[in-house]
Amino acid sequence: MVDSKKLQDKARETLVRDDVRRLIGWKRGTYGYEAAPAVIKDASDAEALIFDPTCVQNPASFLTLEEKLPVPRGAEPDTRKVAVMVKGCDSRAIVQHLLEKAYGRDDVIVLGIPCRGVIDRRKAQKLFGDVGVAVSAKIDKEKVAVDIGGEVKTVDRKDILMDKCLRCRYPNPLVSDFLLDEEVEKFADDDFADVVEFEKQAPADKWTHWDEQFGKCIRCYSCRNVCPMCYCVECVVTKLRPQWTRRSTDISENTAYHIQRAWHLAGRCIECMECQRVCPVDIPIMTLNRKLTRDVKELFDYEPGVDTEAQPLLASYNPQDPEEYIM
Amino acid sequence: MAEHKFAKEKLGDLVSGLSGYRVFAPTAIGDVVRFAEVTDPAQVTLDYVNSNVPPKELMFPETETLFRYRLGQDEIDAAVPSADDKRVILGIRPCDSQAYSIVERLYSWDFNDPYFLNRLGGTTLVGLACADPCANCFCPSVGGGPASEEYLDAIMYDLGDTYYLKTITDKGDEVAKALSGVLEAAGGGEKKAAEKQAGDALSKIQRSIDTAGIPEKLPSLYDHPFWEQFSDRCLGCGICTYLCPTCHCFDIQDECEAFDARRARMWDTCMFAEYSLHTSGHNPRPTRKERTRNRISHKYSYFPEKFEVIACVGCGRCINYCPVNIDILDILEKSKEAEAKEAKTA
Amino acid sequence: MMDESNPYLPYIVKIEDTWYETPGDRAIKTFKVNFTDEKVWDTWSHRPGQCAMVGRLGVGESMFCISSSPTERGYLRFSVLRMGKVTSALHELEAGDSMTVRGPVGNSFPLEEWEGKNIITVGGGIGQAPLRPVINYIRANRDKYADLKVIYGARTMVDHCFKGEFDEYNQEGTACHLSIDVDEEQWPHFVGFVPNLLMEVAPSPESAIAVTCGPPVMIKFVIQNLEKLGFAPEQIYTTLEERMKCGIGKCGRCNVGHLYVCKDGPVFSYASLKDIPEAFA
Repeated sequence: MVDSKKLQDKARETLVRDDVRRLIGWKRGTYGYEAAPAVIKDASDAEALIFDPTCVQNPASFLTLEEKLPVPRGAEPDTRKVAVMVKGCDSRAIVQHLLEKAYGRDDVIVLGIPCRGVIDRRKAQKLFGDVGVAVSAKIDKEKVAVDIGGEVKTVDRKDILMDKCLRCRYPNPLVSDFLLDEEVEKFADDDFADVVEFEKQAPADKWTHWDEQFGKCIRCYSCRNVCPMCYCVECVVTKLRPQWTRRSTDISENTAYHIQRAWHLAGRCIECMECQRVCPVDIPIMTLNRKLTRDVKELFDYEPGVDTEAQPLLASYNPQDPEEYIM
Repeated sequence: MAEHKFAKEKLGDLVSGLSGYRVFAPTAIGDVVRFAEVTDPAQVTLDYVNSNVPPKELMFPETETLFRYRLGQDEIDAAVPSADDKRVILGIRPCDSQAYSIVERLYSWDFNDPYFLNRLGGTTLVGLACADPCANCFCPSVGGGPASEEYLDAIMYDLGDTYYLKTITDKGDEVAKALSGVLEAAGGGEKKAAEKQAGDALSKIQRSIDTAGIPEKLPSLYDHPFWEQFSDRCLGCGICTYLCPTCHCFDIQDECEAFDARRARMWDTCMFAEYSLHTSGHNPRPTRKERTRNRISHKYSYFPEKFEVIACVGCGRCINYCPVNIDILDILEKSKEAEAKEAKTA
Repeated sequence: MMDESNPYLPYIVKIEDTWYETPGDRAIKTFKVNFTDEKVWDTWSHRPGQCAMVGRLGVGESMFCISSSPTERGYLRFSVLRMGKVTSALHELEAGDSMTVRGPVGNSFPLEEWEGKNIITVGGGIGQAPLRPVINYIRANRDKYADLKVIYGARTMVDHCFKGEFDEYNQEGTACHLSIDVDEEQWPHFVGFVPNLLMEVAPSPESAIAVTCGPPVMIKFVIQNLEKLGFAPEQIYTTLEERMKCGIGKCGRCNVGHLYVCKDGPVFSYASLKDIPEAFA
């Protein structure tokens, strides 16, 4: 478990540096099973920072979310660094950002936190109900102890953690300047059993499934906004000249949107599962991303967000690339 | 105004009994509860806290056609819903129906929006009083309540194996008449149980805010940095606005399929940069700070300035679904602290 | 007025005549239009300052000021600067083509309150379009108003709108002061930005109203200079613009603070704007 004092001290130490502009981490939320991202600029605010299994959000998203306003005439651009605390899965976003050149390695200071898993609020709500207090939690190899307003309830990992945690191969940050805890062993190998299972369905059944799921979509674009890899200044779905996808929410446009996004993430999705977590109508968005992740692994033996020296998948070519579709 | 009751197992008969009306009720797809038109009573679920997507979509659909036309021809075919289309929304929470009355003020401001107003006019709202408010509900702070009758035509209470149904308006009485085969007269017992449930529900509400002074004072915090502690972690996604029962902003786009075309409107959100983006590239609200500040100010200051009500019904959805725990009550509390500090140093 | 029961339905208008006011990248095209249904004139009435959502079926609509005064009878004029999707589609249209017009919407200049006063219009570029109906209304009701001055600047000689009309104003005794930003060989008049031209002309605030419209940065400095000349906020009027979709105060996006530009505006006195920080964002 991360020592909060060590975490906060490190944060303070980082924030007082002349070359650091802000630090992104987590703080206790106002209610419920999830912490809140914290963007702090002053070292005195570091005492609010925490890390525990409620820290489900991906702070790396905020690195690309920050707007770049034009520099006023006569002023110098602010080139100071942003410090960010990341779990293993979050750090893959930073790796992928770096290899896509979204920003430079020197623009960020990565405070890595080896992670044992984060709580899935939907699973927690089924177990313990709707809570008004801000929950905290502790985790060890097998169990998660959830403190709900002073009452501690202990459950098995598999009953409360997010699905991604149960098959986590990268609990330790893949890029970091400082590690705030001891590294942990990976939890599982990923055999893409979920993808294999889904693929077994007949095409007609799959369409029925997706008709129902995409039929729910209200096109709030939360999945896109939370995704650390969706950072185009002008997104293809909101482009008007020309307009590729209509804004109306019929099954055709909704399906086009989700498929479009999945394709744009092929070879880039780092499986943080934030898209699925935030969806207000519970669309299983990750099914598509997992399928493409599996295909990318099988076809090209490629994994995004792991190696900062790698090339982006679709920007690289290998003569050995499979070409079954070329006659 | 009359008091009725019916056994829970007769809910299906009640739904079937509403012939002459189109019936809308909460339905479940997995864990998601959403209001939809029901033709089969088995689709109805009244065992829910509140729907994910608010029933505003029944008055103001996510996408709707304003009018149709054919390219190259100058004929416009308006697609206005008929005010005579009789509908019942069964099981709406008091907060969501209060939201209709708030949006109605804007939608009938000088120009009448016939799409929304016709639907609202033709709809009878049969509410379901809340027995178990969610942890983030705060309706009493904004003029509502778990059993508030003010914006409903009739209200039901789930009393275990019976529903107590009280009609409030003429429209409610008309629906009760249509259901005379299913409804029985309620006795004092049901009424008492309902009153007790309402009282218990009120005391279960954990969160509140004293809104006095907020509408007047928020504009003075325009340049205050306190907004950044929220806007810095805002994702700029549309969730708070799309799930808010009083949010009513929309985009209008023309869509063409070969020569068949329509002008449609669809939900929009002030949290997107494109919302206020000028074609020249200038954006008066270029970052999430301006947009967050605008959203909260609109709900708690600009709207009340014009229409004399706060544009919030305390349903808690924005708090429950915000992926980064931006909590409107937290924002309002911090705004009061910021304002108090300013006043002291002034 | 538009269809009373449905303010989203536009009128169809036919373009009687159209011409370019200015060429090039920032081309401005004026459209003189008439309703295809002549009966619309029986119920139509608009006031200087009011706008309409103008567009093309299949593309969309944008808000434009009605650039003709109600005293110009039998047609409406709009001047469109080509910038994006809708304006480009409008620029493709020629005489005989149809457009859609939905209006009139918005508030108007309080011309009755201004009777007997000296009126100064201060325009820049396309900003002259909402000032033109004010000028023409006053010209048609000349004895109700005192002095009329027109101050108007554009980037270059070719960028002035309504070029032929200034000679007409001059002949009627209305002083016209024109400028361009950077000197050009054949330009006989003032060279410099509009706020500077304003200081050159230095109109007296005595019993006067100043109306200004143009790029936001120009408006900002014009208002500053008007105040320097002694104009009170109540004597200064301007028009704001924001992105618009419905034009009738429903879709929410054009708000500046609590004011909806499409409905509480677009005409605002500086007095009503000075305490709204968003007004000059």
